[in-house]
Amino acid sequence: MIITPQELHNWVSTGRSFIVADIRPEEQRYHFPISGLETIIATAENLPARKKDPLILICQFGVLTEELIFEKNLENAYSLLGGVQSWEAFQIDKLDLSRWSRQTILPEIGMSGQRKLQDSKITIVGIGGLGCPAAQTLAASGLGNLQLIDGDVVELSNLHRQPLYNKNEIGHAKVSVAYNSLQNLNDNLTVIAKEIHLDESNGQELLKDTDVIIDATDNIKTRQVIDRISKILGIPMVYGGLYRFEGQVAVLNHNGGPGYEDIFTPDPAGGDTCGEAGVLGMLPAIIGNIQALEAVKIIIDIKPSLSGKLLLYDGITHETNIINLGVKV
Amino acid sequence: MKVLVKCFSQVKYAIGSNELTVTLKPGSNSADLETMVREQSAGALDDVTLRTAVNKHYVIEPVLLEDGDEVAFIPPVQGG
Repeated sequence: MIITPQELHNWVSTGRSFIVADIRPEEQRYHFPISGLETIIATAENLPARKKDPLILICQFGVLTEELIFEKNLENAYSLLGGVQSWEAFQIDKLDLSRWSRQTILPEIGMSGQRKLQDSKITIVGIGGLGCPAAQTLAASGLGNLQLIDGDVVELSNLHRQPLYNKNEIGHAKVSVAYNSLQNLNDNLTVIAKEIHLDESNGQELLKDTDVIIDATDNIKTRQVIDRISKILGIPMVYGGLYRFEGQVAVLNHNGGPGYEDIFTPDPAGGDTCGEAGVLGMLPAIIGNIQALEAVKIIIDIKPSLSGKLLLYDGITHETNIINLGVKV
Repeated sequence: MKVLVKCFSQVKYAIGSNELTVTLKPGSNSADLETMVREQSAGALDDVTLRTAVNKHYVIEPVLLEDGDEVAFIPPVQGG
Protein backbone atom coordinates (compact mmCIF):
# COMPACT_ATOMS: atom_id res chain seq x y z
CA MET A 1 0.00 0.00 0.00
CA ILE A 2 1.03 3.59 -0.43
CA ILE A 3 0.35 6.70 1.60
CA THR A 4 0.65 10.22 0.24
CA PRO A 5 2.26 13.12 2.12
CA GLN A 6 -1.19 14.69 2.51
CA GLU A 7 -2.59 11.49 4.05
CA LEU A 8 0.39 11.07 6.35
CA HIS A 9 0.08 14.71 7.37
CA ASN A 10 -3.57 14.01 8.27
CA TRP A 11 -2.50 11.02 10.37
CA VAL A 12 -0.01 13.21 12.25
CA SER A 13 -2.57 15.99 12.74
CA THR A 14 -5.21 13.65 14.11
CA GLY A 15 -2.79 11.94 16.50
CA ARG A 16 -3.07 8.52 14.90
CA SER A 17 -0.61 5.93 16.17
CA PHE A 18 1.94 4.55 13.69
CA ILE A 19 5.62 3.75 13.26
CA VAL A 20 7.87 5.41 10.67
CA ALA A 21 10.97 3.54 9.51
CA ASP A 22 13.60 5.32 7.44
CA ILE A 23 15.49 2.72 5.39
CA ARG A 24 17.83 5.15 3.63
CA PRO A 25 21.62 4.89 3.92
CA GLU A 26 23.31 7.17 6.45
CA GLU A 27 24.71 9.56 3.83
CA GLN A 28 21.27 10.17 2.34
CA ARG A 29 19.76 10.70 5.80
CA TYR A 30 22.50 13.24 6.52
CA HIS A 31 22.03 15.25 3.32
CA PHE A 32 18.22 15.05 3.20
CA PRO A 33 16.88 15.08 6.76
CA ILE A 34 13.17 14.47 7.41
CA SER A 35 11.18 17.17 9.17
CA GLY A 36 8.03 16.77 11.23
CA LEU A 37 8.22 13.00 11.73
CA GLU A 38 9.70 10.77 14.43
CA THR A 39 11.51 7.99 12.63
CA ILE A 40 13.27 4.75 13.44
CA ILE A 41 16.43 4.01 11.49
CA ALA A 42 16.04 0.64 9.76
CA THR A 43 17.22 -1.39 6.80
CA ALA A 44 15.39 -3.56 4.32
CA GLU A 45 16.72 -6.63 6.16
CA ASN A 46 16.03 -5.34 9.64
CA LEU A 47 12.63 -3.71 9.93
CA PRO A 48 11.21 -2.67 13.33
CA ALA A 49 9.03 -5.13 15.22
CA ARG A 50 5.45 -3.97 15.73
CA LYS A 51 2.10 -5.19 16.93
CA LYS A 52 -0.99 -3.36 15.72
CA ASP A 53 0.34 -0.02 14.56
CA PRO A 54 0.72 0.57 10.84
CA LEU A 55 4.31 0.76 9.57
CA ILE A 56 5.26 3.64 7.27
CA LEU A 57 8.39 2.90 5.25
CA ILE A 58 10.38 5.82 3.92
CA CYS A 59 13.13 6.01 1.32
CA GLN A 60 14.32 8.94 -0.78
CA PHE A 61 11.88 8.65 -3.70
CA GLY A 62 9.33 6.07 -2.53
CA VAL A 63 10.37 3.43 -5.05
CA LEU A 64 12.50 1.07 -2.91
CA THR A 65 9.89 0.99 -0.15
CA GLU A 66 7.12 0.07 -2.60
CA GLU A 67 9.26 -2.80 -3.86
CA LEU A 68 10.11 -3.89 -0.33
CA ILE A 69 6.46 -4.10 0.74
CA PHE A 70 5.64 -6.08 -2.39
CA GLU A 71 8.60 -8.48 -2.11
CA LYS A 72 8.16 -9.19 1.62
CA ASN A 73 4.38 -9.14 1.34
CA LEU A 74 4.24 -6.85 4.39
CA GLU A 75 0.83 -6.38 5.92
CA ASN A 76 -0.41 -3.08 7.32
CA ALA A 77 2.66 -1.40 5.85
CA TYR A 78 2.70 1.75 3.73
CA SER A 79 5.26 3.22 1.38
CA LEU A 80 5.38 7.02 1.45
CA LEU A 81 4.63 8.02 -2.15
CA GLY A 82 7.44 10.13 -3.53
CA GLY A 83 9.52 9.45 -0.40
CA VAL A 84 11.41 12.14 1.46
CA GLN A 85 11.56 14.24 -1.72
CA SER A 86 7.76 14.64 -1.81
CA TRP A 87 7.36 14.87 1.98
CA GLU A 88 9.81 17.75 2.29
CA ALA A 89 8.26 19.58 -0.68
CA PHE A 90 4.88 19.18 0.99
CA GLN A 91 6.22 20.86 4.14
CA ILE A 92 6.89 24.08 2.19
CA ASP A 93 3.34 24.98 1.16
CA LYS A 94 1.22 21.86 1.81
CA LEU A 95 1.02 21.21 -1.95
CA ASP A 96 1.08 17.43 -2.44
CA LEU A 97 3.05 16.66 -5.61
CA SER A 98 3.61 12.99 -4.77
CA ARG A 99 1.40 11.69 -7.59
CA TRP A 100 4.09 12.91 -9.96
CA SER A 101 6.84 11.08 -8.08
CA ARG A 102 7.68 8.93 -11.12
CA GLN A 103 8.65 12.08 -13.03
CA THR A 104 10.06 14.16 -10.14
CA ILE A 105 12.55 11.33 -9.59
CA LEU A 106 14.09 12.38 -12.93
CA PRO A 107 17.01 14.73 -12.16
CA GLU A 108 16.02 16.95 -15.11
CA ILE A 109 12.62 17.57 -13.52
CA GLY A 110 12.78 17.17 -9.75
CA MET A 111 10.50 19.11 -7.43
CA SER A 112 11.57 22.48 -8.86
CA GLY A 113 10.55 21.42 -12.37
CA GLN A 114 7.25 20.06 -11.10
CA ARG A 115 6.55 23.36 -9.34
CA LYS A 116 7.36 25.27 -12.54
CA LEU A 117 4.79 23.13 -14.35
CA GLN A 118 2.24 23.77 -11.61
CA ASP A 119 2.81 27.53 -11.93
CA SER A 120 2.68 27.64 -15.75
CA LYS A 121 0.06 28.16 -18.41
CA ILE A 122 0.04 26.49 -21.80
CA THR A 123 -2.46 27.36 -24.52
CA ILE A 124 -3.46 24.83 -27.16
CA VAL A 125 -4.99 26.30 -30.28
CA GLY A 126 -7.10 23.58 -31.91
CA ILE A 127 -8.39 20.65 -29.85
CA GLY A 128 -8.42 18.15 -32.69
CA GLY A 129 -6.04 15.34 -33.66
CA LEU A 130 -2.92 17.04 -32.27
CA GLY A 131 -4.61 19.02 -29.52
CA CYS A 132 -6.39 16.11 -27.81
CA PRO A 133 -3.30 14.00 -27.01
CA ALA A 134 -1.26 17.09 -26.15
CA ALA A 135 -3.98 18.28 -23.74
CA GLN A 136 -4.32 14.86 -22.11
CA THR A 137 -0.65 14.36 -21.35
CA LEU A 138 -0.15 17.98 -20.28
CA ALA A 139 -3.09 17.75 -17.88
CA ALA A 140 -1.77 14.48 -16.47
CA SER A 141 1.78 15.84 -16.19
CA GLY A 142 0.86 18.32 -13.45
CA LEU A 143 0.53 21.49 -15.49
CA GLY A 144 -1.25 24.19 -13.48
CA ASN A 145 -3.14 26.07 -16.20
CA LEU A 146 -4.28 24.84 -19.60
CA GLN A 147 -6.17 27.07 -22.02
CA LEU A 148 -8.04 25.45 -24.90
CA ILE A 149 -9.13 27.48 -27.93
CA ASP A 150 -11.39 25.92 -30.56
CA GLY A 151 -14.70 26.94 -32.12
CA ASP A 152 -15.58 23.54 -33.59
CA VAL A 153 -18.04 20.90 -32.46
CA VAL A 154 -17.39 17.15 -32.19
CA GLU A 155 -18.05 15.21 -35.40
CA LEU A 156 -18.24 11.48 -36.03
CA SER A 157 -15.20 11.62 -38.34
CA ASN A 158 -13.12 13.10 -35.47
CA LEU A 159 -13.45 10.13 -33.14
CA HIS A 160 -10.77 7.85 -34.62
CA ARG A 161 -8.03 10.31 -33.71
CA GLN A 162 -9.46 12.59 -31.00
CA PRO A 163 -9.78 10.41 -27.88
CA LEU A 164 -11.18 13.12 -25.61
CA TYR A 165 -14.57 12.73 -27.33
CA ASN A 166 -17.11 9.94 -27.75
CA LYS A 167 -20.14 9.32 -29.95
CA ASN A 168 -22.57 10.70 -27.37
CA GLU A 169 -20.85 14.07 -27.61
CA ILE A 170 -21.27 14.61 -31.36
CA GLY A 171 -22.52 18.14 -31.95
CA HIS A 172 -21.18 19.43 -28.60
CA ALA A 173 -18.52 22.12 -28.45
CA LYS A 174 -15.09 20.46 -28.37
CA VAL A 175 -13.73 22.77 -25.67
CA SER A 176 -16.66 22.03 -23.35
CA VAL A 177 -16.29 18.27 -23.67
CA ALA A 178 -12.50 18.52 -23.33
CA TYR A 179 -12.89 20.73 -20.25
CA ASN A 180 -14.82 18.04 -18.39
CA SER A 181 -12.47 15.18 -19.36
CA LEU A 182 -9.31 17.09 -18.49
CA GLN A 183 -10.54 18.59 -15.26
CA ASN A 184 -11.19 15.05 -13.99
CA LEU A 185 -7.61 14.06 -14.77
CA ASN A 186 -6.05 16.49 -12.32
CA ASP A 187 -7.63 18.47 -9.48
CA ASN A 188 -4.65 20.82 -9.35
CA LEU A 189 -5.26 21.89 -12.96
CA THR A 190 -7.26 24.93 -14.03
CA VAL A 191 -8.73 24.42 -17.50
CA ILE A 192 -9.81 27.53 -19.39
CA ALA A 193 -12.08 26.71 -22.33
CA LYS A 194 -12.57 29.32 -25.06
CA GLU A 195 -15.17 28.35 -27.66
CA ILE A 196 -13.94 30.61 -30.40
CA HIS A 197 -11.81 30.49 -33.54
CA LEU A 198 -8.53 32.34 -33.02
CA ASP A 199 -7.86 35.03 -35.61
CA GLU A 200 -5.99 38.30 -36.06
CA SER A 201 -8.68 40.28 -34.21
CA ASN A 202 -8.72 38.24 -30.97
CA GLY A 203 -5.39 36.41 -30.98
CA GLN A 204 -3.30 38.79 -28.89
CA GLU A 205 -5.93 39.05 -26.18
CA LEU A 206 -6.34 35.26 -26.05
CA LEU A 207 -2.62 34.46 -25.96
CA LYS A 208 -1.14 37.38 -24.01
CA ASP A 209 -0.63 35.72 -20.60
CA THR A 210 0.39 32.22 -21.65
CA ASP A 211 3.89 30.74 -21.26
CA VAL A 212 3.88 28.46 -24.31
CA ILE A 213 1.51 28.22 -27.30
CA ILE A 214 0.89 24.83 -28.90
CA ASP A 215 -0.18 25.22 -32.50
CA ALA A 216 -2.48 22.27 -33.11
CA THR A 217 -4.49 23.89 -35.88
CA ASP A 218 -5.38 22.30 -39.19
CA ASN A 219 -4.85 25.23 -41.51
CA ILE A 220 -1.91 27.37 -42.56
CA LYS A 221 -3.77 30.70 -42.23
CA THR A 222 -4.37 30.29 -38.48
CA ARG A 223 -0.84 28.97 -38.07
CA GLN A 224 0.48 32.17 -39.64
CA VAL A 225 -1.64 34.28 -37.25
CA ILE A 226 -0.28 32.34 -34.26
CA ASP A 227 3.25 32.77 -35.63
CA ARG A 228 2.88 36.56 -35.89
CA ILE A 229 1.35 36.89 -32.40
CA SER A 230 3.93 34.53 -30.90
CA LYS A 231 6.66 36.77 -32.32
CA ILE A 232 4.99 40.01 -31.15
CA LEU A 233 4.34 38.74 -27.62
CA GLY A 234 7.67 36.90 -27.33
CA ILE A 235 5.92 33.66 -26.40
CA PRO A 236 7.37 30.46 -27.91
CA MET A 237 5.15 28.41 -30.21
CA VAL A 238 5.37 24.66 -30.65
CA TYR A 239 4.30 23.97 -34.20
CA GLY A 240 2.90 20.60 -35.31
CA GLY A 241 1.57 19.52 -38.68
CA LEU A 242 0.46 16.29 -40.34
CA TYR A 243 0.33 14.82 -43.83
CA ARG A 244 -0.94 11.24 -44.15
CA PHE A 245 1.66 9.14 -42.27
CA GLU A 246 4.09 12.02 -41.68
CA GLY A 247 4.38 14.74 -39.10
CA GLN A 248 6.42 17.89 -38.47
CA VAL A 249 7.31 19.55 -35.17
CA ALA A 250 9.33 22.70 -34.45
CA VAL A 251 9.78 25.10 -31.55
CA LEU A 252 9.42 28.54 -33.09
CA ASN A 253 10.05 32.14 -32.02
CA HIS A 254 11.94 30.94 -28.97
CA ASN A 255 14.84 33.06 -27.68
CA GLY A 256 15.16 34.83 -31.04
CA GLY A 257 14.90 31.62 -33.06
CA PRO A 258 13.11 31.37 -36.41
CA GLY A 259 9.34 31.47 -36.85
CA TYR A 260 6.97 29.65 -39.18
CA GLU A 261 7.24 32.36 -41.81
CA ASP A 262 11.02 31.96 -41.82
CA ILE A 263 10.65 28.29 -42.68
CA PHE A 264 7.83 28.24 -45.20
CA THR A 265 7.86 31.78 -46.67
CA PRO A 266 5.08 34.34 -46.03
CA ASP A 267 2.73 32.67 -48.48
CA PRO A 268 3.25 28.89 -48.58
CA ALA A 269 1.11 26.77 -50.86
CA GLY A 270 0.08 23.14 -50.67
CA GLY A 271 -0.50 20.82 -47.76
CA ASP A 272 -3.93 19.25 -47.55
CA THR A 273 -5.86 19.02 -44.27
CA CYS A 274 -6.43 15.65 -42.57
CA GLY A 275 -9.93 15.68 -44.07
CA GLU A 276 -8.48 16.07 -47.57
CA ALA A 277 -5.34 13.93 -47.34
CA GLY A 278 -6.42 11.38 -44.71
CA VAL A 279 -4.64 10.43 -41.51
CA LEU A 280 -4.28 7.28 -39.41
CA GLY A 281 -5.35 7.88 -35.80
CA MET A 282 -2.01 7.05 -34.18
CA LEU A 283 -0.02 9.67 -36.06
CA PRO A 284 -1.53 12.77 -34.42
CA ALA A 285 -1.10 11.04 -31.04
CA ILE A 286 2.65 10.71 -31.71
CA ILE A 287 3.11 14.24 -33.03
CA GLY A 288 0.80 15.86 -30.45
CA ASN A 289 2.75 14.20 -27.66
CA ILE A 290 6.05 15.40 -29.09
CA GLN A 291 4.58 18.93 -29.06
CA ALA A 292 3.51 18.50 -25.41
CA LEU A 293 6.98 17.20 -24.55
CA GLU A 294 8.65 20.21 -26.16
CA ALA A 295 6.28 22.58 -24.31
CA VAL A 296 7.22 20.98 -20.97
CA LYS A 297 10.93 21.17 -21.88
CA ILE A 298 10.58 24.90 -22.56
CA ILE A 299 8.90 25.50 -19.20
CA ILE A 300 11.38 23.44 -17.19
CA ASP A 301 14.30 24.55 -19.38
CA ILE A 302 15.44 21.11 -20.45
CA LYS A 303 17.86 21.32 -23.38
CA PRO A 304 18.37 20.75 -26.22
CA SER A 305 14.89 21.50 -27.50
CA LEU A 306 13.59 21.63 -31.05
CA SER A 307 14.13 25.39 -31.11
CA GLY A 308 15.64 26.31 -34.46
CA LYS A 309 15.08 22.78 -35.75
CA LEU A 310 12.39 21.04 -37.76
CA LEU A 311 11.63 17.43 -36.83
CA LEU A 312 10.21 15.27 -39.60
CA TYR A 313 8.69 11.93 -38.59
CA ASP A 314 7.61 9.15 -40.95
CA GLY A 315 5.11 6.74 -39.40
CA ILE A 316 5.73 4.10 -42.09
CA THR A 317 9.51 3.78 -41.75
CA HIS A 318 9.78 5.38 -38.27
CA GLU A 319 12.61 7.44 -39.69
CA THR A 320 13.14 10.75 -37.94
CA ASN A 321 15.01 13.61 -39.59
CA ILE A 322 15.95 16.79 -37.78
CA ILE A 323 16.68 19.76 -40.02
CA ASN A 324 18.76 22.62 -38.64
CA LEU A 325 16.95 25.85 -39.48
CA GLY A 326 20.07 27.98 -39.19
CA VAL A 327 20.18 29.30 -42.72
CA LYS A 328 23.08 28.31 -44.94
CA VAL A 329 23.35 30.66 -47.94
CA MET B 1 28.25 13.30 -59.24
CA LYS B 2 25.51 11.58 -57.26
CA VAL B 3 23.29 13.08 -54.58
CA LEU B 4 20.66 11.51 -52.36
CA VAL B 5 17.25 13.17 -52.55
CA LYS B 6 14.98 12.84 -49.49
CA CYS B 7 11.32 13.33 -50.34
CA PHE B 8 8.82 14.37 -47.67
CA SER B 9 5.02 14.51 -47.61
CA GLN B 10 3.56 15.55 -50.98
CA VAL B 11 6.97 15.14 -52.64
CA LYS B 12 7.12 11.51 -51.54
CA TYR B 13 3.69 10.78 -53.01
CA ALA B 14 4.38 12.78 -56.19
CA ILE B 15 7.68 10.97 -56.83
CA GLY B 16 6.55 7.61 -55.52
CA SER B 17 9.47 7.11 -53.15
CA ASN B 18 10.81 8.63 -49.96
CA GLU B 19 14.32 8.83 -51.40
CA LEU B 20 16.15 8.50 -54.68
CA THR B 21 19.69 8.83 -55.94
CA VAL B 22 20.17 11.35 -58.74
CA THR B 23 23.15 11.85 -61.03
CA LEU B 24 23.93 15.51 -61.68
CA LYS B 25 26.42 17.39 -63.81
CA PRO B 26 29.28 18.94 -61.83
CA GLY B 27 28.40 22.54 -60.96
CA SER B 28 24.71 21.79 -60.40
CA ASN B 29 23.01 23.51 -57.51
CA SER B 30 20.03 22.78 -55.25
CA ALA B 31 17.66 24.84 -57.44
CA ASP B 32 18.61 22.72 -60.50
CA LEU B 33 17.78 19.62 -58.48
CA GLU B 34 14.43 21.08 -57.37
CA THR B 35 13.57 21.74 -61.03
CA MET B 36 14.38 18.10 -61.85
CA VAL B 37 12.20 16.84 -59.01
CA ARG B 38 9.31 19.08 -60.02
CA GLU B 39 9.60 17.85 -63.63
CA GLN B 40 9.60 14.25 -62.44
CA SER B 41 6.39 14.86 -60.47
CA ALA B 42 4.44 15.41 -63.69
CA GLY B 43 2.71 18.54 -62.40
CA ALA B 44 1.77 17.18 -58.96
CA LEU B 45 4.03 19.72 -57.25
CA ASP B 46 3.19 22.73 -59.43
CA ASP B 47 1.19 24.44 -56.68
CA VAL B 48 3.29 23.30 -53.75
CA THR B 49 5.90 25.43 -51.97
CA LEU B 50 9.10 23.47 -51.42
CA ARG B 51 11.83 24.29 -48.93
CA THR B 52 15.26 22.79 -49.26
CA ALA B 53 17.77 21.37 -46.81
CA VAL B 54 21.25 20.31 -47.80
CA ASN B 55 22.92 17.86 -45.46
CA LYS B 56 20.17 18.60 -42.88
CA HIS B 57 20.70 22.39 -43.00
CA TYR B 58 18.00 24.67 -44.38
CA VAL B 59 19.03 26.74 -47.38
CA ILE B 60 17.25 29.76 -48.81
CA GLU B 61 19.44 30.56 -51.78
CA PRO B 62 20.59 27.82 -54.19
CA VAL B 63 23.84 26.17 -53.07
CA LEU B 64 26.36 24.29 -55.17
CA LEU B 65 26.04 20.57 -54.61
CA GLU B 66 28.85 18.11 -54.12
CA ASP B 67 29.09 14.39 -54.69
CA GLY B 68 27.48 12.54 -51.79
CA ASP B 69 25.29 15.43 -50.60
CA GLU B 70 21.87 14.72 -49.13
CA VAL B 71 19.17 17.10 -50.32
CA ALA B 72 15.72 17.20 -48.70
CA PHE B 73 12.64 18.81 -50.24
CA ILE B 74 10.10 19.74 -47.60
CA PRO B 75 6.62 21.10 -48.31
CA PRO B 76 4.36 22.76 -45.73
CA VAL B 77 1.81 20.40 -44.18
CA GLN B 78 -1.55 21.52 -42.98
CA GLY B 79 -3.19 18.68 -41.08
CA GLY B 80 -3.76 18.81 -37.36
